[in-house]
Formats: sequence, C-alpha cells, structure tokens
Amino acid sequence: MNTTIKEVNGELYAVLDGRLDTAAAAQTEKEIQPLFNSEGKNVVLDCNALQYISSSGLRLFLGVLKSVKAKGAHVYITGMSDDIRNVFAMTGFTNLFEFR
Amino acid sequence: MNTLDEHSLTLPNNVEFIPQLAAFIEEVTESHGIAPSVTMSINLALEEAVVNVMNYAYPEGSFGEIDISVSFSDGSITFTIKDSGKPFDPTKVSVPDTSLSAEERPIGGLGIYLVRELMDEVSYCYENNHNILTLKKKIQ
Repeated sequence: MNTTIKEVNGELYAVLDGRLDTAAAAQTEKEIQPLFNSEGKNVVLDCNALQYISSSGLRLFLGVLKSVKAKGAHVYITGMSDDIRNVFAMTGFTNLFEFR
Repeated sequence: MNTLDEHSLTLPNNVEFIPQLAAFIEEVTESHGIAPSVTMSINLALEEAVVNVMNYAYPEGSFGEIDISVSFSDGSITFTIKDSGKPFDPTKVSVPDTSLSAEERPIGGLGIYLVRELMDEVSYCYENNHNILTLKKKIQ
C-alpha cells in the first residue's frame, strides 16, 4: 500500500495505491495526516489504484470526512472500483461521500 | 490434487499477518475458479472475522493462535475460524445504523457487520475452550 499526497488547483489529493487492509492501515493513517490539517481545502481521495479496502480503511475515510467537513470543506472520491463501491453501499458510506 | 479438498492456515494474533490470510484465500479460491469479485467478498469477510480475533480474543500483549480451515461442499465454500481466547459470539453483536450522517456516525463497529453481510451463513459455538466461527458462502 502506497499513499501520495499532492495539491492540485487548491485541492488536496490523496492517491491511494494498493490494498488498504488492517495490516496497512496504521502506515496509511500516518501518510494521510496532511488531510487532517487541510485548513478548509477540499480533499480528493483518488481510488483509481485502490484494489481493496476493509473496515480499518473505512475508518480512515470516515475520520478524514469528519475532519474536513468540520472545517466546511468537501471530500470527493474518484475512481472507485465496483467491488469497493459495493462495500461502500453495504456500509452506508455511499451516502456520506461525494463522488466525482 | 488434494482429494480431501481441505486447506488450513494458522496465524499468530498479529494483524501484520493479514496479507498471509489474503494470499491463502486467493490460492484456494483461484484453484476453484471462483470469480474475483466473490473472492474479494470472501477476503473481506475473513479479514474482518480474523482481525477481530487477533485484536480481542487474547489478553493484550500475550501470544495466541488462530486456526483457519476451508472446505467445499454442495456448491458452497465454508471457513472455520478457531481460537482459544475468551468466549465471544460475533453473531450477537448489534447491527450498526448505516443511515446516520457523517457527523453522527461513530468511528468503527463495521467489521462484524461486514462479515454477516458478505457471507450467506454465519454460525458460532464454544466447544472445548475454543471459539468456533463458521462462515459459509455459495459459490455456484
């Protein structure tokens, strides 16, 4: 699992690449820390290369959403596979996030 | 060919070993021609069930093992997860409210729910000082 943070046109992008399982979650949590200091910028979670997510990863997504929303900004998800979208639907996460 | 068609894996109670569980499941499902999306559901359910045991069955800081075995019958794949930690019945855990807003939504509490959503049958028993959780999914 590899996560890259970059800023594009005033938005913070997290490019998630690999399997976000419980073993990878602690490291990913460290790598996405800049998203928690987003200072009102919108955040984009780029899931084009995300192959898998478990509840440990969903926990991180929800943590980012709560933090960014509290600052009045948006979290967008882009490039999510059907299988992962299915997990989002099952857990009610589809209704929490905005999709691009 | 394994004529018994049974496979098993033993892991320590450490989540760093979850990729080994995933590799084991990939191997078993691939050899039976199970579709990738079904494999992902199985993988997710097993990870959640096993992580729950890894994190909570044994006292913090103490070593414990988790045995995972898999068998095929009647068009279904069945996993049995066994540990000798404290008794815990995941089938009795309350269902999270998935209709809450982001602000109201508690962090966590989805693992067991996913297990029950993703598998067709989930059953639990406590026998000879072991938790035995059985997860079954139709594959045909």
